[in-house]
Amino acid sequence: MGFAYPGALALFALTPLLVIAYLTRERPRRVRISSVMAYRVMGATRSRRFGGWPQLDWLFFVELLILCLAVLAAAQPYVIHRDRNFAVVLDNSAAMQARTPDGKTRFAGAIAALRDILGRQNFPANLTVYLTAPQPHQLSAPFTSFSAARRALSSVEVTDAPADPGALKDLIAGLLANPRLNGIYYAGAYAVASPLPPRLIARSFDVPIANAALSNFTLRRESFGSPTLHGHVAVANFSPLAQTLTVSISAGKTELAHAQTHLGPDEIGSVDFPSLRTAEVYQARLEPADGFDLDNTAWATAGAVRAISVLFVSPAPADAHGLDALPGVKVITRKPDAYTPEDLAGADVAIFEYGVPKELPSVNTLLVMPPPGEPVFDFVITPAAHLSITGWNATDPLTDAVNFRLLNPRVGEFFGVHAWMKPVATGPSGALVMRGVRGGHRFVATGFNPFPYLGRENLPMSILTLNLLSYLAGLGSDSSGFRTGQTWQVPAGIERIVTPSGNSISVTPGTIFSATTAQGIYQLIGAGGEKNLRAVNLDDLGVSDLGHAPTLRFESADAATQPANISVDRAPLTADLLAAILALAMLEAIVVYRRRRTIAPAIP
Amino acid sequence: MLGLPQEFSSDFLARLEQLRIKTRREYAGLGKGGHLSPRRGSSLEFNDYRHYSLGDDFRFIDWGLYGRTDKLYIKLFAEEEDLLTYIFIDASASMALPAADRKFEMAVATALALAYVALSSGDRVMIRVLAGEGAKPSPGLVLGRHRIVDLARYLSSAKPAGELDLAHALASELVTIRRAGKVFLISDYLMMTNSVTRGLGLFTAANMDVTAVQILGAGELDGSGLDGDVELVDAESGETVRVSIGERERERHHQTMLRLSREIRTFCFRNGLHYVLYVTGADFHEFFLRAVSELGLVH
Repeated sequence: MGFAYPGALALFALTPLLVIAYLTRERPRRVRISSVMAYRVMGATRSRRFGGWPQLDWLFFVELLILCLAVLAAAQPYVIHRDRNFAVVLDNSAAMQARTPDGKTRFAGAIAALRDILGRQNFPANLTVYLTAPQPHQLSAPFTSFSAARRALSSVEVTDAPADPGALKDLIAGLLANPRLNGIYYAGAYAVASPLPPRLIARSFDVPIANAALSNFTLRRESFGSPTLHGHVAVANFSPLAQTLTVSISAGKTELAHAQTHLGPDEIGSVDFPSLRTAEVYQARLEPADGFDLDNTAWATAGAVRAISVLFVSPAPADAHGLDALPGVKVITRKPDAYTPEDLAGADVAIFEYGVPKELPSVNTLLVMPPPGEPVFDFVITPAAHLSITGWNATDPLTDAVNFRLLNPRVGEFFGVHAWMKPVATGPSGALVMRGVRGGHRFVATGFNPFPYLGRENLPMSILTLNLLSYLAGLGSDSSGFRTGQTWQVPAGIERIVTPSGNSISVTPGTIFSATTAQGIYQLIGAGGEKNLRAVNLDDLGVSDLGHAPTLRFESADAATQPANISVDRAPLTADLLAAILALAMLEAIVVYRRRRTIAPAIP
Repeated sequence: MLGLPQEFSSDFLARLEQLRIKTRREYAGLGKGGHLSPRRGSSLEFNDYRHYSLGDDFRFIDWGLYGRTDKLYIKLFAEEEDLLTYIFIDASASMALPAADRKFEMAVATALALAYVALSSGDRVMIRVLAGEGAKPSPGLVLGRHRIVDLARYLSSAKPAGELDLAHALASELVTIRRAGKVFLISDYLMMTNSVTRGLGLFTAANMDVTAVQILGAGELDGSGLDGDVELVDAESGETVRVSIGERERERHHQTMLRLSREIRTFCFRNGLHYVLYVTGADFHEFFLRAVSELGLVH
C-alpha cells in the first residue's frame, strides 16, 4: 500500500483537535432544575447536531473514523498488486495428433508437460493461455492461478487444422517483447532454436515420426454426361524407408477401388482411379496405418451424381432452348429483374447473359457478354463490330477440340485486362474468353454469345459451349478445394452448416464461417432443406512431413527485453474511502435524527 | 411573627381580615358560620315556603300570603354555616428550584394567607402538604384565627422533596375529606398536563369549588442562570436533557413555559375553576390583594 500524496497524512494532526474538542465540550454543566419539560422541545445541543461536536457515545468514534478516513482519502492511498504474469502457448494444431513411439499423441504429451510445469508453481500469478490453431488466439480471460490454468488445459482439444508457423513465431516474439511477462511456457510441434530466450520454457514435440500421407484428393468427370468419375490422389512417403502404399476409395461402406504405389523415402507420387462410379461422398484411405492417422484419410464430394441444374438469367430466355436438349441438364430461366441470390441454392451452374449479379455467385458461373464497370467483376470492355479469334490456350480444358478458325462469332466485345480472370481465347483487341477462380468457384466470361449457334449449324461453337458447361459443371473440378482451418464465406441461401462431428451451426449468408477445424464432410443446408456437401481435408503435406517441421527462431532483440521481476499495479482506494465516509455520515445523520425524535415533547 | 412568614405584617393581616372566601356553591358546614348552607335554618336569607303544620312556629307564618290565598304558609330560611376550606401545597422537589425564586416559601405564604382569610371568617381550614419530607402530622381541620400558628408550624416543618403524581396524591387526599368545600391547590404545575387535569378533575367531580394557584419562579420562567451547553436534570424524575442555551433558546423556553401555564389556565376556565398565577419576585402583598377575585375571595 502506498500514498500518492503522503503529505496529506499531516492532517492527522486534526485528530487530537477533535478529541480536545470532545473533552472540552463533552462536559456540559449539570444543572438541576425544577422541570425539563420546556427544554425538551429545544432539540439537541450542538454536540448532538449533525456535523457538530463529537459525542461521548459511539458516535464520537464514528466521527473520529470519518475524520481519519477523510485524511486517508486526501492522501490518495492505493494498493500495490505485485502480480506475476505468465503466458502459456499450447500447440493444438493437426501435427499434435501424431503419436509418439510410446503410443501417446504429441498433444497429450504437451498437456502433461504443461500441467507438470504449472503444477510446480504455487504463488499468485496471472496466466494467459494461447492456442495455435487455426490461428494463434487466446483461450479465455486470463487465469488468476496456476491451478486454474491447469484445469483449463484439460478442456482443450486438438484440432485438424494446421498451425501457421509464422503467426506462432510472431505470437511468441510478441510475448517475449512484453516486459510484464515473467515467463512463457510453450509446448508444441515446432522446435525452438537454441539458445532459448531467457524467459521462454519450451517443450517441443518434434521427434521425427515415419508417416505416409494422402493429399490433393480430386474428382473429375472425363466427359460431359459420363456416369463415372476420375479420381486422383497424391500420396507422400515421409519415412526413411521405401514402402508400398495402398490407397482405397470407398463410398460409404462400399469400397469402389483400390490401388498401390511404391514410394521411396520422402517421395511424393499419385494414384489415379479412372472410373469411379458416382456417389455422393468419396473417402480415400491410405494403408498401412502410421502414427498420424489424420492424413491417412481424405474426402471428396461429387456434385455430378445428379442432373446438372443450370440457372439461366437473361432478358432473352429463349436463348436457353438449346441447353434443354442436352442430356442430364435441367435449365431454370429467370429474367434479370426476377433473379434473387436464393435462386442459386438449387443450381450447379449459373449463366448470366448480358448482365452480372450484384454479388459474387456461390456457384460456378458463366458470364455472357457482361456489361463493363460493374463493381463485382469490373470488366473492361471494348466493343467490336466484327470478331475474330487470333489466339487461344491449346492446353486449356475450355479449348479442347475446338477449331477456333471456324468458330466465327459475328458480334461481341473484347475484354481488357482483368484482376483475377485469365484469357483463354483472344482477339486483336483483347480477350474473348476468360476464366478464373474466385471464392472457391469457377467463373468464365465470354465476349460473344455462344447460345444462338448451339447445334449442328456451328459445331465448333457447340463444342466450346459443351467445354464451358463441362468446366463449370465440375468436370475436372478439384473436390478437395477446402482445407481445415480455412474460413469460408457462407453461400447465398444457406441457413445451417452441419460439421463432421454433427454440430449444427446456424449461419447467415455472406458471413465468414470459421468452424472448419475438423476434417470431413460439411453439410450446407438451405432454407428449403437443400443440402450441399463440402469436403474439408488437412491437405497439407508440410504438416504431414513430421520429420522436417520448421524451427522457430527468435532474434536476440526479442529476448533482450528484460522483464520487471514483479509487475506492479496500483489500485486506488480513494473512491472506496469516500464511499465509506458517505456511509458513515449517513449513519450518523440517521442516528441523530432518531435521537431527536425520541425526545420529542409529550405535551398534547 | 408567631412563626408566620415575613410577608405577614400586621398591616397585611389586617387587610386579610377584611376578606372572606366566596364559593360558587353552597356547602354544608360543621357549625354556624357566615356562608349559606344548603340546609334550612334561621338566617335572614329567605329560602322557600311550605304549608303550615301543627307545631310550627307561627312567628314564621307569612300573613300577607295568608291574606291573599286564605291559606297558612310557613317561610323557610337558609342556614348559614362555616365553610370547610382545604388547602393543598405541592412540596415536590420542583418547588425548591430554582432556590433563588423561593417558590415553596411563597407557596407557604399563599397558603397561610388563604388560611388566615378563612380562619378570620370563622371557617374551618385544613392544610395538607403533597409530597415533600419532614412534615409533622397535619393539625386537620382547624377553626379560629389563632390556629394559624399551628398551620404555620406544620408548613414550616415540610421540606420540598421527591416526585409528585398530582392525580394520585389528590385521589388519596379526597378519600379523607368528609365534606365538600373550598379547595386551594398551590403548585408550580410543572408536571404532565394530563396529571394536572386528572387531579383537578377529581375535585370538581367531588363538587368541590377549586382554585388552582400556580407559583412559578421569575428565574425559572426566564431560564436565567443557564447559558451554553448544559445538562439539565429534572429535579423529580431525574431525566436529563442536554441543550445549548443562548438568547434564542431562553426565549423559546420562556414561550414554552407560558404556553404550559396557559394550558392549565384554559383547563381551569373551561371547568369552572379559579386560576391564578403568581410569579415570584413580584410583590406578594400586591399579588394577593389584587388577585382577590381570581383566588375566589371577596371583600
